[in-house]
Amino acid sequence: MKYVDEFRDAELARALGVQIAALTEPGRHYKIMEVCGGHTHTIYKHGIEAHLPENVELVHGPGCPVCVIPMGRVDDGIAIARNPEVIFTCFGDMMRVPGGSGSFLDAKAEGADIRFVYSPLDALKLAVANPEREVVFYAIGFETTAPSTALTLMRAKAEGITNFSVMCNHVTIVPPLKALLESPDLRLDAFIGPGHVSTVVGARPYEFICEDYKTPIVVAGFEPLDLLQSILMIMQQLQDGRAEVENQYGRVVPFEGNLRALEVLQEVFELRPYFEWRGLGFISQSALKLSDAYADYDAELKYATPGVRVADPKACQCGEVLKGVIKPWECKVFGTACTPETPIGTCMVSSEGACAAYYNFGRFAKSAARADA
Amino acid sequence: MNEAAARQPGVLGQPLQILDRGSYSVACSVVEGCLTCGDVAVEVKVLEVDGFDAVCEDPHGQVGRVGVDLVMPVEVGNRLLVHAGVAISRLKES
Repeated sequence: MKYVDEFRDAELARALGVQIAALTEPGRHYKIMEVCGGHTHTIYKHGIEAHLPENVELVHGPGCPVCVIPMGRVDDGIAIARNPEVIFTCFGDMMRVPGGSGSFLDAKAEGADIRFVYSPLDALKLAVANPEREVVFYAIGFETTAPSTALTLMRAKAEGITNFSVMCNHVTIVPPLKALLESPDLRLDAFIGPGHVSTVVGARPYEFICEDYKTPIVVAGFEPLDLLQSILMIMQQLQDGRAEVENQYGRVVPFEGNLRALEVLQEVFELRPYFEWRGLGFISQSALKLSDAYADYDAELKYATPGVRVADPKACQCGEVLKGVIKPWECKVFGTACTPETPIGTCMVSSEGACAAYYNFGRFAKSAARADA
Repeated sequence: MNEAAARQPGVLGQPLQILDRGSYSVACSVVEGCLTCGDVAVEVKVLEVDGFDAVCEDPHGQVGRVGVDLVMPVEVGNRLLVHAGVAISRLKES
């Protein structure tokens, strides 16, 4: 398949693995964080780690938007969904995310009208088709997804649709990276930068990582060879003593991003003073809310929500997984009490979550490696 | 997208079946990942432009409607990157 097969060539992957190994210094341990959940998924699905030398470790970052939603925000969404006039819509991954008092799926089973959609534009279509009901869209995602919500709101306003609103949980990529770099329990050598977020924001926002923290970052695509080539570029930078923003995904990501999308984001959203991230705590200016011009479409202003902060279950170590402090299989409940069928933590819910990706693709390889040892 | 265009033969010689935006997403599939809420997007080719929407085809031959406001101007044959039913980038022609 064009644009796919050429990025999955096994021979090229092996050759890249050899080149990466040649750039490692004996005795040095390299920790590279892939920020994005999509990359985590590719790493496990395609066995990328099998091509890397043992002293190059991939650490999974907080780039799965489902995984970083705190339980209290799920409860707030459920409270809105329970209004009888509301058709509540969200992306499929959110349906099973556990809140303090169950998930959207549980609330649906109890009678709430909750439907999953693939695009906020589909939620808007529902609003047009059901003028007697109120349609609420539970918006999640980084800057990749925020433009689709913004565009939907602009269309709703332009078309005068008033029975549509958004509960905004959009988050931004740079503040958590900064929080990770400031974290005392994590030492990283480099970042694999998110591919499609960068399609919107460009590569320039990452420059502070190189300038202030002397850490390289390479924006990467999502095919196996994209990731291996990005790791090679990182290793080359580390060997040269450079810390630069490089763009491996040039076929898709313009260095300046999508200026029109950035304009739209600016018009529809404004930064929240702070927002709670699961596992990372409160991070200032790390999330978006609707701007005053779109206040009529803000579900949090239209409906009462409990707004209560809910602590994660004690057994759940999603926080440490999200910060890359522990690997998924090091969590006490991984694969036993917490599985994709009965998730305790969010990292096991989304297929982009490190725990689910590892559970689905990596655990057998790990068991085999343990048996060989 | 007008009805007459929907009845025209598609690129695979079959009548175009205009699916919803969801045709570009596999909801939370273990194998393909979640295309809507992960940082994952799909490359598509523009078959027809209809104002701020375009009818596009993905690499699997599925055809669907996409919002193209953010990547205007769009022409038939352009390749776009689509996320959550909205094109976020126009890809370089190779």
